[in-house]
This record gives sequence, structure tokens and C-alpha cells, in this order.
Amino acid sequence: MLELTDVDVHIEGVHVLRRVRFTVKSGETAALIGRNGAGKTTTLRAIMGFAPLTAGRIAVGSKDVATVPPHQRAGLGIGYAPEDRRLFAAFDVEGNLRLAGEVQGMNRATLDARMAEVFDILPELTTLRRRPAGSVSGGQGKMVALGRALVLADKVMLLDEPFQGLAPVLAQRYAEALRRLRERRPDIALVITESNPALLQGFVDTMLEIERGEVTVAAA
Amino acid sequence: MTPQLALLATLDGIAYAALVFMVAVGLTMIFGVMRILNVAHGSFYAIGAYSAASIVLGLTAAGMNPWLVFPGLLLAAVGVGAVLGTLIERLLLTRIYTKEPVLQLLVTFAVFMILEDVQRLVWGVRPYFAAEPVYLLGNVQVVGIFYTAYQLILLPTVALLVLVGLRLFLRRTLSGRLIVAVTEDREMATALGINAGRVFLLTFVLGSTLAALGGALASPTTSLVPGIGADMIVLSFAVVAIAGLGQVEGAAIAALMIGLGRSFAVYVMPELEVVVPYLVMVIVLLIRPEGLFGVVERRRI
Repeated sequence: MLELTDVDVHIEGVHVLRRVRFTVKSGETAALIGRNGAGKTTTLRAIMGFAPLTAGRIAVGSKDVATVPPHQRAGLGIGYAPEDRRLFAAFDVEGNLRLAGEVQGMNRATLDARMAEVFDILPELTTLRRRPAGSVSGGQGKMVALGRALVLADKVMLLDEPFQGLAPVLAQRYAEALRRLRERRPDIALVITESNPALLQGFVDTMLEIERGEVTVAAA
Repeated sequence: MTPQLALLATLDGIAYAALVFMVAVGLTMIFGVMRILNVAHGSFYAIGAYSAASIVLGLTAAGMNPWLVFPGLLLAAVGVGAVLGTLIERLLLTRIYTKEPVLQLLVTFAVFMILEDVQRLVWGVRPYFAAEPVYLLGNVQVVGIFYTAYQLILLPTVALLVLVGLRLFLRRTLSGRLIVAVTEDREMATALGINAGRVFLLTFVLGSTLAALGGALASPTTSLVPGIGADMIVLSFAVVAIAGLGQVEGAAIAALMIGLGRSFAVYVMPELEVVVPYLVMVIVLLIRPEGLFGVVERRRI
């Protein structure tokens, strides 16, 4: 479903990703494990089109995304939750979620169904619906960002360090939400970046280790 | 200062603030979305004013129904904003979005200089008067003072409609929310599928139209001479700085502060009139460097 072939990225002359190569199949959960600065976020940004490739190829489904501009990548069915949440403070929580669907031109019925599914997977969002997105706590914000990514993720879901900075209780709930997501949407290719592999033991199918921009596949 | 004079100053200030607000709110929206400080914004004001005067004079000379001048003013604003705005954004600004701010400032300044000359070429340097719309609406008496209905009622009403309309547009419509989303976080908006390029064009045309509308509505109240665009852009920068960049409601309050400050200065200390806007700005920025309603920018890596 998601296939990176020898992807190279340079940012301001620095070689950040070196021949990154991995595949995440439909229904597979992959963890991208590495220290800060190893290239985890850049890998996800490259998939979203924010870090231009200097070499290599990224394919979603069977489609090479080289010619797909960044704003059309979400339309391929990619949901992306960046590490720093990046919710729109001007809207309430539900407004943040709905905006994603509206931009994609979902009709009301489709979007309502999608929202119901999101609230089913993330029940804690139900009570936050009307809260201004700027006023939710960091941990709640991570849940909202996950929900927003879910609205768009038909094929691929990219979660950048979702557990980073989460209190243990919230991390627990986040993990439960991911399990529900796996049950309800078994076909999604899920990529989670994390610096601490222990957090993802038993949940992921593939462990990818990234160090200084190079990815090696480790046993799960 | 007698109460009557105070009232007169207040009315003057409000009418003036209404015009400044329309121009400044366009400037602040463009900056909010595109992060470009558009010096050429003043040209839209000037060309909007001159176009409106030409339409008004043309209609009057042709002996048409005089009330047609009001749709004429609106037409001038929308025409200038849509045509000139689209041309400048598509042909020029799209090439400099990724460049450094200094270069962007220079380019928009160059556009301003070019348009200033274009305006001299088309309309010459002799003053234009097209006060027909002001005569048509007549005068209103407010506690013993005669005041033109155009400035007392029409200008503040239009400014209020612009404020309320913008608020509703930005909160209630999808296009408006796309603008808000791109203003807040362009990259995340793009990740959700928002075409920032289209939002840029929409914002630029909308903002430019507001500047042209300010010019069109100002044209019946003043004589049009070269340099009005430069005066207005400097004043708009002051309003935007006072309000905080990207603040719509704040621009209305800042425009009122400057409008009232200026009109009271005219009656109390006329020699201070020209510096009042900047005095207000300096005082506000000394206390709140991010502007009255501005938010401190978070730095992103």
C-alpha cells in the first residue's frame, strides 16, 4: 500500500534521508523507531510532499506520488497526524475534524458517517466536540489530531510520535484507540514513529529502525 | 472644546475610520494568509478611487439616472479588485512566495511605483472631483450641526457591513474557513488537502477589492490627486500594526482610534494632526509590541 524505494532527501544541503526503502502493506502496522534527528519526521513529511525527494520513489497504492502536489496527497487517502498536533485554534474540535472531510468534498451523509466512526474509535472526543481546539490539553490534542487523520485515512495513516509527552493514563487510552482503529479499519496501512520501541511491543507487525537517515528492517 | 465641536469631531472621526478600516482590513487579511506585506495595497485604494470618479463623472455627463452612481462605486471596487488583483497575484506574487520577506517587500513596492505612474498616465495629475453621490444623499441635522448623510450614515454602514460580512464569511462558509485555516497553519492546511495557492488568490482578490472599495467610497468626499495611495498605505500599516497582524475585528477598533485621534487633533491641536496616527501606534506598540489583539507567533522549526 505504501512503498518507499531508495528515497533520498536533502534539507538545506544536509543529507537527511539515505536510500530509505520499506513497504507497509494494507492492514499492516509498521513502527519507525529512531532517536531524535534520525529522520522519522522527515520520512513522514516526504510522504506528505513537504520534504522534496532528491532521489527515489514513493508510491501509495500503485500510484507514484512524485507528480501529486502536496495538497492532493490527502485525497489519496492519507491521514497524517504530526507530532505537534497542529490543530486549528480558530475552530472547535468538531470543526477541525469536519474541515478535513469538507475539504475533500465529502457530502453531508458521508461525513456524518465518518464522524460517527471517529467518535466510536475515540469516544473521549465526544465530550470535547464543542471545545475550542486551542483550549484542549496536549494529550487531548493528540487524540483530536488522530481523529482528524482518521477522517482522511482511507488507505494510509501516518502518526508522528503519538506517545511523545503523553501521561501514562492518556498513553494507555491512545493505545486502546489504536487497537479499536485496527479492528474497525483492518485495511489501513499504519505507520507510527516512536523513539521508544518498548511502547509499541506486541502491537506492530514490522519494526523499522532508522538511524542517521538509513532504515533497516528489524524483526517485530 | 464645546460639546458641539466634540460631536462634530466624533462624526468626522467615525467617517474617516470607516474608510481606513476597509483598506486596512484588506491589508491585514492578505498579510495573515500570504505573509506578504503588500505595499501595492495603496495602489488599489487610489485606482479604485479614480475609477469610481470616472464612472461617477461619466454617468453624470451621460445624463443617466443619478442613483446609478452608487452601483457605479461598487462596480469600480469589484472591477479593480478582481481584474488588477488577479493579474498581480497570478503573474507576479506566485513567483515570490518562497522568497525572503525583504525581496517580497521590494517587489510589492515596485508594483506600487509602477501603478502610481500608470495612474498618472491614465488620469493625469490635475485633481478630480466627483462629489455627486454626496449631494444626492443630502444633509442630516444632528443637534444643530449639518452633516452629509454620505459620511454620517453611508460610510459607517458600509464599514459595519464589511466587518459583519467578513466575520460571517470567515466563520460560516467553507471558503472562509479555508482562509482561516491557511492563515493559522499553511502546511497543516495543505496536509488536509487545502490548495493554498487558490486560497492565496481568493484572499488577494478579496483584500484588494476591499482597498478599492475604500477608495471608491472615499472618492466623493475628497479631491483625488497623485499620492493618495501612498498616504493610505502608510495609514493602513499603522492600523494593522496597532491591531496586530491578521486581526479583522482589531483593525476596526484600531481604525476608530486613529480616525477619532486625528479628527480631535484637527480641532484641538491642528499641528499634530499628521502625527497622531503614528503617536497612537508608538504608544500601543511600546505597551504591546504584538499589537492590541495580536498573538505572539510561535516559532516552528
